[in-house]
Amino acid sequence: MKLKLFRLNRTQTFIFLCLLPTILLVFGFTYYPIVKGIDVAFRNYSLFNLTDVRYIGLDNFKTVTSSAQFGTILKNTALWVSISLVLQFTIGFAVALIMRKSFRGRGVYQGFVFYSWALSGFLIGIIWRWLFNGQIGVINDLLLKLGLISERIGFLSDPKWAMFSVIVANVWYGVAFFAIMLLAALQSVPSELYEAAEIDGASSFGQLRHVTIPYIMPTIISTTALRVIWIFNFPDLIYGMTNGGPAGSTHILTTYMLDKIVFSGDYGQASAIGIICIGILVLFTTFYLFATRAGKAGDF
Amino acid sequence: MKKRYAKLGLAGKIVVLGIYLVFMVFPLYWMIITSLKPRNEIFTLPLQYWPKHFTLDNYVQIFKISKFHVYLGNSLFISLVAAAIVLVVTILSGYVLARFAFRGSGQLMMAFFVTQMIPLFIGFSTLYMMMSKMGLLNKQASLILMYTVGLVPFCTIMLRGFFQRIPASLEEAAMIDGCSRLGALYRVIVPIMMPGISATFIFAFVQNWNELFMAIMFIDRESSKTLPVAMNSFITKFDIDWGSMSAATVLSVVPTVVLFAICQRFIVEGLTQGAVKG
Amino acid sequence: MKGTNRWLALSAVAALAAGVVSGCSGSGDSGGDGKGTVKLKMIESLTSPARTEVIKKMIASFEEANPNIKVELISPPLESADNKISTMLNSKESLDVLEVRDVTVKQFVTNKWIADLTTYTDAWSGYKDLNANSIAMANYIENKPYYIPYGLYQKMLFYRKDWFDEKGLTPPRTWDDLLNAAKTLTDSANNRFGYSFRGGSGADGYIVDLLRDFNGANVNTDDAMFLKSGATIFSTPEAKQGLTLYTNLYKDGSPKDSINWAFAEQVQGFVSGATGMLIQDPDTIDPVKQKLGEGTWATAPMPVGPTGISHYKVGAAGWGMTSYSKHPEEAWKLIEFLSSPEQNAIFTKTAGVIPIHNSASVDSYFKEGAYKPYIDMSNDPEHFVPYKPETDYKGFGEWRKIVQQDAQAVLLGRLSIDDALKKWDAYWTNEKQQGK
Repeated sequence: MKLKLFRLNRTQTFIFLCLLPTILLVFGFTYYPIVKGIDVAFRNYSLFNLTDVRYIGLDNFKTVTSSAQFGTILKNTALWVSISLVLQFTIGFAVALIMRKSFRGRGVYQGFVFYSWALSGFLIGIIWRWLFNGQIGVINDLLLKLGLISERIGFLSDPKWAMFSVIVANVWYGVAFFAIMLLAALQSVPSELYEAAEIDGASSFGQLRHVTIPYIMPTIISTTALRVIWIFNFPDLIYGMTNGGPAGSTHILTTYMLDKIVFSGDYGQASAIGIICIGILVLFTTFYLFATRAGKAGDF
Repeated sequence: MKKRYAKLGLAGKIVVLGIYLVFMVFPLYWMIITSLKPRNEIFTLPLQYWPKHFTLDNYVQIFKISKFHVYLGNSLFISLVAAAIVLVVTILSGYVLARFAFRGSGQLMMAFFVTQMIPLFIGFSTLYMMMSKMGLLNKQASLILMYTVGLVPFCTIMLRGFFQRIPASLEEAAMIDGCSRLGALYRVIVPIMMPGISATFIFAFVQNWNELFMAIMFIDRESSKTLPVAMNSFITKFDIDWGSMSAATVLSVVPTVVLFAICQRFIVEGLTQGAVKG
Repeated sequence: MKGTNRWLALSAVAALAAGVVSGCSGSGDSGGDGKGTVKLKMIESLTSPARTEVIKKMIASFEEANPNIKVELISPPLESADNKISTMLNSKESLDVLEVRDVTVKQFVTNKWIADLTTYTDAWSGYKDLNANSIAMANYIENKPYYIPYGLYQKMLFYRKDWFDEKGLTPPRTWDDLLNAAKTLTDSANNRFGYSFRGGSGADGYIVDLLRDFNGANVNTDDAMFLKSGATIFSTPEAKQGLTLYTNLYKDGSPKDSINWAFAEQVQGFVSGATGMLIQDPDTIDPVKQKLGEGTWATAPMPVGPTGISHYKVGAAGWGMTSYSKHPEEAWKLIEFLSSPEQNAIFTKTAGVIPIHNSASVDSYFKEGAYKPYIDMSNDPEHFVPYKPETDYKGFGEWRKIVQQDAQAVLLGRLSIDDALKKWDAYWTNEKQQGK
């Protein structure tokens, strides 16, 4: 190691030393445990009996994917990710567009857009579970008072509403990310571009389409890609609100994984689901970045 | 004609912003109101949108009985220290990855990106053993270390984006003037980057501030616990102690909001620089 | 300037390392500190603030009586406690005394995490004072005492006496009575319902107990997921009747939301005046007493099935010792102290569990009105039959989730009663083949 170091030139040494702490941390404390953890996915590894943790090949993968609810879970996951993402993005983008120009009270407004980001997942889950409560929930109470409904809605107990409710909570939590990121990007669009478009007689919609969106496209691509990953890996909220219920109607892959740990103590199967999650996300990201032509390695 | 459209547009904007504001603020309003209600009025029907009897009992309770100030202090200490270490580490790595193209840099970025996809619990038992062997269990250092680990990949990606928007000519000029590269980085680039750095810092702080799982697993001692753990303890077998929970929620938002307020301008400018490139 | 960049970068690494190691509090090792003082670590699982306070007080009196032993109590938040305990045990993290429950004891024993206490109980005079149920629960696995219960759980019926009087109802004796009473009491327009239904986490126990009652005397009480014939309890027409009643109880007598209700919501429903009946453990007596006025509520024995039989299980939790404790003698001393009649009396009052000593059961404690059904039930063995719970099956954890989800699907009309029973029948037939 030392010898090699000496053979590097100054710049190479500089690069190496600057990256060293990051590489040590990431590979020592993220990848090393994970490589060891992946092993568990191929073992009969259940808390109920750790005296017999033999290798069982792909059995864990077979068990979790052949479960009758696996199809529903995949569908729920797709719904949860896509609807949350579209709503978070659309609302975030709209708010960012409106807030682009300075107005009185914008700072305060930003504070309110921001604060939901400063709460932990479990807290958001129980707060929204309470707000959506079918008996004493304030949302039902408000809707009744406004005369919009005549009977309380079982937001979390009715499968027709449960997914909607958890997504509302997720949108509440996640719009901030897009609003801030996109607002920042919008403010970086050079005003000359708008002036030129105006001279060409472009409408404000045309400006949005031909100037704004193309210019901030890299931000849109990177933020949506990251967000998909984060929403996908965010079981806390659903777990706190519905626990995947009723009758599995809000179960997504990551809550399914938690269930395997909490109820079955089956770390083997849970790890298998975790690996399936990583697989799906790697595939998605590769495809997404390629499709959006941002696929050049590392350029996201 | 055009003016009328403009007016309509403005009205539309105000309506959209207004609806969104209500949507965002209502849960916070409900928490604040709840925290100011006497315990026995929190669940009384019909629901009270304004407390009949204002009281600060819930706040007194969490400080007197739940030792809230201790947890607040622990959380502040851990979150700030970990966020600071993250900055030191990722300024270096983000800078290098933005400025130099070398073999493996793309793969390294991909490796950082992939960490975002990995569920924490895979490998957690190995991590726990590592902490145990390093003698860090039950010490706040374990959380500082692991929070740093968790944030380094994303913050490297984020800061790299900021660095890419700063022309390399700036530090080259400084280097011609006799600075070393590191000197140029810290004396010339970092000051220009302050906005981006504040944004990254706040991002890191918020993540640490909210972390629950590792804080439960690594820390036993009452006096070392963090805020999310203390708040999680308000969930009991019989009910959620909403009196304490709401008061704690309101207070737990304060440090982050203060931090936002201080760096608000920095954040927007900072993200402006980085976000374009992503 | 030459070479400084490397030096600077290295110092950044050093600073990082220093930041990680320094500036943080205390040492965490359990063990002696040289002066002959022994430090014990103890962890609780069913954490709640009031209970933690009592445990701390008990520990303080223990430390006073044993000045050379110090006890550090770990109180993780309820939801993550079991996860934390198994993580600690699995990596042999220093721990001496821990809370062991009927649902965790099998797992702890199989993994050799907790110690067989036989040598200690043999020498302990208090062991013989434990009541029969406590001894049975302590020895549930391998017929060896792996933990000493601190209290017992057993379900009974809580009902709103004022509501019943208003409608001229008497406390239900059978499950059919209970369904009819629930229907009569339900007035959804006024947000009033008959029964605090349990559809969420923990629903499994309610469903299975009900189906057992419908199967009556045919149930094999030593292996209670099965009948004496060897078939599962889900394979009979009686099981179908039971599950039909269960469905009707939800549809006609319970709040819609209760499909998701777990323990907390169930109890909240009753004490907030939304529901008129609740089936729960004795730890519910205290919260009910606090929230509902005297005379507005009462307790009754569990409802019986069509053939007049109710199957009940006794639940337990208590204190055990890790198999790798470095101070087993001191750890036992602590367990023995906590299990003494005086300390147990203090604890059971706060935790709301049935005391473990014989002397206590005839105490004033049980004469109190709310506890009376327990005496009635144990005095009527013909109708109230105890069984051995299925917690020692490997698939028990998974089962709890499956039955909860399937039952929700049945209640929502997404799964037929027949299909659900068929699925459960197959599950337990398979479990039996797999063995415990």
